[in-house]
Amino acid sequence: MAAKSSKTADEPTTSSTGTKSLYEASTQFKSWNFSPEQLVIVRESLNSAAVTAIRNTFETDEPGSSAHVSFLNAEDEHLLVKLYITKIPQLCGHFRFPEEVEATAITYLKRFYLRNTVMDWHPKNVMLTALFLATKTTNNPISLDSYTSNIPRTSPSDVLDLEFLVAQSLGFEFAVWHAHRALWGLWLDLQYLPEITEDLRPRDVYEMALKHVRNSRFTDVELIYTPSQISLAALSLASPLLAQKWVDSKSSGATDSASETLESIIGTVKYFITQAGQPPDVEAVREVDRRLKLCKNPDKVVGSKAYLARKVEEERKAEAKRNKKVEDARRAIEDDDPFGSALNEAERAQRIRELDEDDD
Amino acid sequence: MDAVEQANAERQKRWVKDQKVGEGTYAVVYRGREASTGRKVAVKKIKVGQFKDGLDMSAIREVKYLRELHHQNVIELLDVFSSKTNLNLVLEFLDSDLEIIIKDRSLVFLPADIKSWMAMTFRGLEFCHRNFILHRDLKPNNLLIASNGQLKLADFGLARDFADPGYKMTCQVITRWYRPPELLFGCRYYSTAVDIWSVGCIFAELMLRTPYLPGETDMDQLKTIFRALGTPTEEDWPGHTKLPDYVPVGQFPRTPLRDLFTAASGDTLNLLSKTLTYEPRKRISAKEALHHPYFTSLPYPTHPSKLPKPLSSHSSRPLEEVDGNVDLAPHGAPAKAAPPNKLKRKLSSPIDDLRPLARRLDFGQMLGDGGSNDVC
Repeated sequence: MAAKSSKTADEPTTSSTGTKSLYEASTQFKSWNFSPEQLVIVRESLNSAAVTAIRNTFETDEPGSSAHVSFLNAEDEHLLVKLYITKIPQLCGHFRFPEEVEATAITYLKRFYLRNTVMDWHPKNVMLTALFLATKTTNNPISLDSYTSNIPRTSPSDVLDLEFLVAQSLGFEFAVWHAHRALWGLWLDLQYLPEITEDLRPRDVYEMALKHVRNSRFTDVELIYTPSQISLAALSLASPLLAQKWVDSKSSGATDSASETLESIIGTVKYFITQAGQPPDVEAVREVDRRLKLCKNPDKVVGSKAYLARKVEEERKAEAKRNKKVEDARRAIEDDDPFGSALNEAERAQRIRELDEDDD
Repeated sequence: MDAVEQANAERQKRWVKDQKVGEGTYAVVYRGREASTGRKVAVKKIKVGQFKDGLDMSAIREVKYLRELHHQNVIELLDVFSSKTNLNLVLEFLDSDLEIIIKDRSLVFLPADIKSWMAMTFRGLEFCHRNFILHRDLKPNNLLIASNGQLKLADFGLARDFADPGYKMTCQVITRWYRPPELLFGCRYYSTAVDIWSVGCIFAELMLRTPYLPGETDMDQLKTIFRALGTPTEEDWPGHTKLPDYVPVGQFPRTPLRDLFTAASGDTLNLLSKTLTYEPRKRISAKEALHHPYFTSLPYPTHPSKLPKPLSSHSSRPLEEVDGNVDLAPHGAPAKAAPPNKLKRKLSSPIDDLRPLARRLDFGQMLGDGGSNDVC
C-alpha cells in the first residue's frame, strides 16, 4: 500500500485525462470541433427544422399563408451571421476592448448559430449579447449601462434578455483557445532559433500574419482546425520561409507522412483564409435580411397571434401548477394524522422541487 | 420550445434537489441527487435576476474553469442548467473539508496523513497551473474531502487564467491569512507563486492545528508574517521595497522554523520553507514540489481512504470501496454536527491494526529521522 501511495506523488502528470494534450481535454476540442461536412449537416438540419416549424405556425394562423414565403436556406443564414461577425471588430475598436474579447465574441456568435437559427433569433442582438458576455468571460467586464448607452438604439434589456439563451447555447462552455495567442507563441519560438537572426524576422511579418489570423475569424476554420494549425497557416501566408523554419525546428524525426499531413492541412487553412477571409457582399446580405423580415418565426415576434397563443398556453400551465400546489397543501391539512402522513422519498423530492422552482 | 430550451429542460430533469444545506449572499446550496442513479450531488443555485449586469462574474469564472478542468483533485462540475432567472451548477457532493478536519480535536494527524493531504493539494494545484489557471483563494475550507478521502480544490469564484507576464491583475484576492506578502504590498503582476504561498500556510496549519499566520488587518498580516519568518532583506527579496503599497513594518529577526515545528522532519521543513519563500520567483512551483524528497521519503503518504475524518461520514463507510459518491443509505447528520469520537480512526481503518501503539506515542518511530516526540 505504501508503495502505491507514494506513486501518487511521483507521477504528477498522470491524471484522469490520461496522456491527452491540454487542447484535447478542452471543451473547444470536445464540443466545438467539426469536419466541413458535419458543419454543413448541422446547419442544414437546423435550417430545415426551423422552416418546418415556422411553416406550421403560419398555417395554423392562416391556412395557405406559407405558400409564397421565401424561407432562408442554410447559406443565406450563414451569410447574415457572417455580416454580424464583421461588426464585432468595429464595436471592439470603438470600446477599445482587447483582442481576446473580440476573438471570443466572434467564436460565441459562430457557436450560437450551430445551435440556433437566424429565423428564431436575429443576429443583431445576439451579436451584442455575445460581445457583452465575452467581456465578462475574458475578465474585461464593463457595466451594462455604459455598454448599451454607447451603442445606438440599444437598451440594456436587448442584451440581458438574451444572455441566458446565449450562455445556454454555448453549453456554458466559455473558455476559448485562440489562434492569435498561438501565433504569439510561434513568434516567441522563432526568437529562440539561432539561425533566425533579427533581420530575418522583421516585425511586419508578425503584423501581417496577425492580419491573416484576424481574417480567418470571418471563416469557419476555427470550427475545423486547431489554433496552432491556423496560426501556422497565417504565418505561412506572411512568410513561407519562417513557417518552414519553425516546422523544421519542431519536426526533427517526424515521418514523411506526418509532414505531408501537416502540409495539406496548412494548405487547406490557407485556402480558407484567402478565399473566405473577408466581409460578405453587403448587397447580398441586405437581400437576405429583407426576406428574413417575412419568414422569421412569429413565435418570437412580440404581439403576433402565435406569440400571444404561446403566452396564453404558458400562463395556463403555470396556473395549473399553482392550483395543484394549493390542492396539495389543503390535502395535507385535512389529513387525519395531525403531523401529516410520511411522504415517500419521491413525493417529498417532487414537492421540494416544485417549491424550489417557485422561490425565485 | 426551442432545441436549446428543450435541452436545458432535459438537463434540469436529470437532477433532484433534496434539501437546502447552505445559503450565501448570491447562492443557495442544496443537497441533491441524480434522478436515474441516486448519485449524491450538490446543486449550487445562483440567483442571477438580481444583478443588473446579468450573469455575475464569480459565477462565470467558476463555470468557465470547472467546465475545462477534470482531475481527481479538482471538484467536478457535472452539469449546468438554468431555471427561470437562476443558474444551477451541479457539483459532485463532498462530505467535508480540511477546515472541519483540522478543527476536529478528536482527530489525530500523523505526518503521513499530512503528507497525503499535501500531495493531493499539490496535484490538484499543479493541474490548475498546467492549464494556466490561478486559483487565488486557497484555504482549508476550499479544500473539500470526498467520502473516499480524496481531497479536491473547490470554489473557483476568484480564479483567472494567466498567460503573458506583465498582464495587470488585481491584488485584492486570497483570504488574508493565506495571502502572500507580494499581494499585501500591492503587486499587480504576479503568478502561480501566490497559490503556493497559500499552500504553505495550509501545510503549516495542518501541523499546528491552528492558522499559522492569522493577521487581524492587512497591515497586521504583514507584521504577522515577518514576526514568524523574519523581515525580508533586499537580498532575500530584491526590489520588494519598490512595490506600490510597500511600507516598512518593523524589523523582526528570522527564527528557524524548527523552533515552532519541533516535531517536523528535515524534508518537511525544507519543503515548507520553499513554499514560504519571500521572493516569488524563487518560491517552489507545484510541479517541483511534487518532486520534492518530502513526498518520496518515509513515512509514505497515507492512502486517502485511511485518512482521519469526522465521524459522521462513518455511516457511509461500507460503501467507500464502491464509489465515494454512491450513497444508498439514508442521509446521516451533516458532517459538522458529528460528536467527537476518538475511536473513529480505529473503526474506519483496518490497517490501524498494524500500528499497535496510540498515535501520540508513535511519532518518533514514524518520523524515523530522530525528530522529537511532540505532536506536530
